[in-house]
Amino acid sequence: MRVLRASKQALSAMVENKARTFLMMLGVIIGVATLTVIASSVIGARSDVMSKVQKFGLDQIMIMAGSGRKPGVPQPVPTTLRIEDAQAMVSEISNVKDAVPQINRRDFPVKFGNKSTYGVLVAADANWSDVWNTPPERGRFFSREDNARLARVAVIGRTIVKDLFESDDPVGKQILLGNNPFEVMGVLEPRGTAASGVDMDSRILIPLLTGQKRVFNQDYLFMIKIVLHDASKMSQTVEDVRALLRERHNLQPAVEDDFTIVTPTQVMNLASKVSSTFSLFLILVSAISLVVGAVVIANIMFIAVNERRSEVGIRRAVGARKRDILIQFLFEAVSVAVIGGIAGVLLGLVGLKAVAGFMKVPAVIMWQPLVLALTCAVMVGLLAGIQPARRAANLNPIDALK
Amino acid sequence: MINLQKVSKTFQKENMEVKVLQDVSLDVGDGEFVSIMAPSGMGKSTLLNILGCLDKPTSGEYLFDGVPVHAMDDDDLSRIRNEKIGFVFQSFHLLPRMTAWENVILPLIYSDVDVDMKERAFSVLTSVGLADRVDHLPRELSGGQQQRVAIARALVNSPRIILADEPTGNLDSASGREVMRVFRELHAAGTTLIVVTHDRDVAEQADRIIEMKDGRISSDGPTKVRAVEVSK
Repeated sequence: MRVLRASKQALSAMVENKARTFLMMLGVIIGVATLTVIASSVIGARSDVMSKVQKFGLDQIMIMAGSGRKPGVPQPVPTTLRIEDAQAMVSEISNVKDAVPQINRRDFPVKFGNKSTYGVLVAADANWSDVWNTPPERGRFFSREDNARLARVAVIGRTIVKDLFESDDPVGKQILLGNNPFEVMGVLEPRGTAASGVDMDSRILIPLLTGQKRVFNQDYLFMIKIVLHDASKMSQTVEDVRALLRERHNLQPAVEDDFTIVTPTQVMNLASKVSSTFSLFLILVSAISLVVGAVVIANIMFIAVNERRSEVGIRRAVGARKRDILIQFLFEAVSVAVIGGIAGVLLGLVGLKAVAGFMKVPAVIMWQPLVLALTCAVMVGLLAGIQPARRAANLNPIDALK
Repeated sequence: MINLQKVSKTFQKENMEVKVLQDVSLDVGDGEFVSIMAPSGMGKSTLLNILGCLDKPTSGEYLFDGVPVHAMDDDDLSRIRNEKIGFVFQSFHLLPRMTAWENVILPLIYSDVDVDMKERAFSVLTSVGLADRVDHLPRELSGGQQQRVAIARALVNSPRIILADEPTGNLDSASGREVMRVFRELHAAGTTLIVVTHDRDVAEQADRIIEMKDGRISSDGPTKVRAVEVSK
């Protein structure tokens, strides 16, 4: 009850001096705002990557043609990775449950009537849909038979549907991939944007053999994705895959791999590295702002304590204990910091929208960063307020009343 | 109620010991109205601070209601000031940004009593004749009115004693008389009052005058000549 009353007294002091209160808040506002942006985008990016990895599958490995490849970075593709490699993995490595050989080509022109757009053309085996966990939401996915007879059939993502068909049903329609006519047999479930910025819904899936013979005119692959029986034996399987491919590609011991193995952990690491430089900078900005904020609050509180000596004296004379004075001034500092913190969070959320639009990182509003930001604000208030509040509490009431 | 036994107070000033109070012994009973008179700098403020539990004697004993105050810690002294003592200061010492009633409830904020504070403030302000000034800020009030707000604040927690330090020092004579009239009314109602002043006219409003010189009590006795009675 007493504490509550003392707190009310502190609040009225803040309202009385708005300009000063705002100045006190400024550092905290900036610090907390940047902190909110960082924490939200880092956590947002992480959870985005995590969910992508979940979809990618923790029991899956990608083998890309070429050495030192990173997902999403274009590079000449060597011709050594073959369908037979994929078949060999399934038959020779016991922990490999399934393998999808595929060829990807970005920015591939696709037309319907007089409308045209570009998509990611993916030629893959019929098990692609299962392994990539992307079933058709309409129509059906192509089958092994479709692949074997080099059928000109395609399953397309929603972005392609929107670009070419708007609201019409694309199933059964003829589209042109390059100059090759294909029949749309299904529409893929939406998958959003990948961490690399690629629109997953702009994919066009065609049977692998059809793609090799009729579109790309190549017999090598872009990548193979494999599914494991036992995800805990990931690293052993990676080594088995490497040994198998080196043997099949006749690589001498001194020669480096002509393929790149990407595991889910690597995908996660890569995605978190992208944002780390940026967040390091922002963390620095927010730490400096918070420290400056604390120093400003502490200084203004010292001034306020000096100016309000007689107030302290009066309160002490009518029965306030040292503790009551301490709580009042401390509460004042913390309230300023917390209100600054709330303003900072709001500003940060606005900033987050901007940053998200600008950097194409997912803007996820979650409670953890907000709690973190407000906790920092409370800490700043306590740290900044404790010394001035102590000084006020220890004023000699007789001197203070003079 | 107040019992000082050989109380001395020494201050350290530039390596010199200054004895502000020397062996002051004093008894004030319930319901008394006492003036302490002394020229400035003769220790009367120090004595008042000790009586008001704002300061502790260097030596000697101080019993308040039989309780040894000289041995108490800071929190206990705060509680005594809060529950048993009301202060009235020369320069009023109101909080400038708070209204009359908000100033009056200040002691209640630091007390454990559970009353409707605004109602209590209103009734005390009414008793000092300020029923129509409850929501005014100090700067909107005359000096006399401000001092009456301060008296209301001193009274709000029903203290055992009111200590006033030059309560009329900053007031014109009419306002000063008004404040002293309020004190006489309080005295008539049974409140114990100690007024420190250097003004003989004010001192003679009390029933008993203690005179101090050089940190000692030089005379102590009933008021011989009552100053001209306050007339409306």
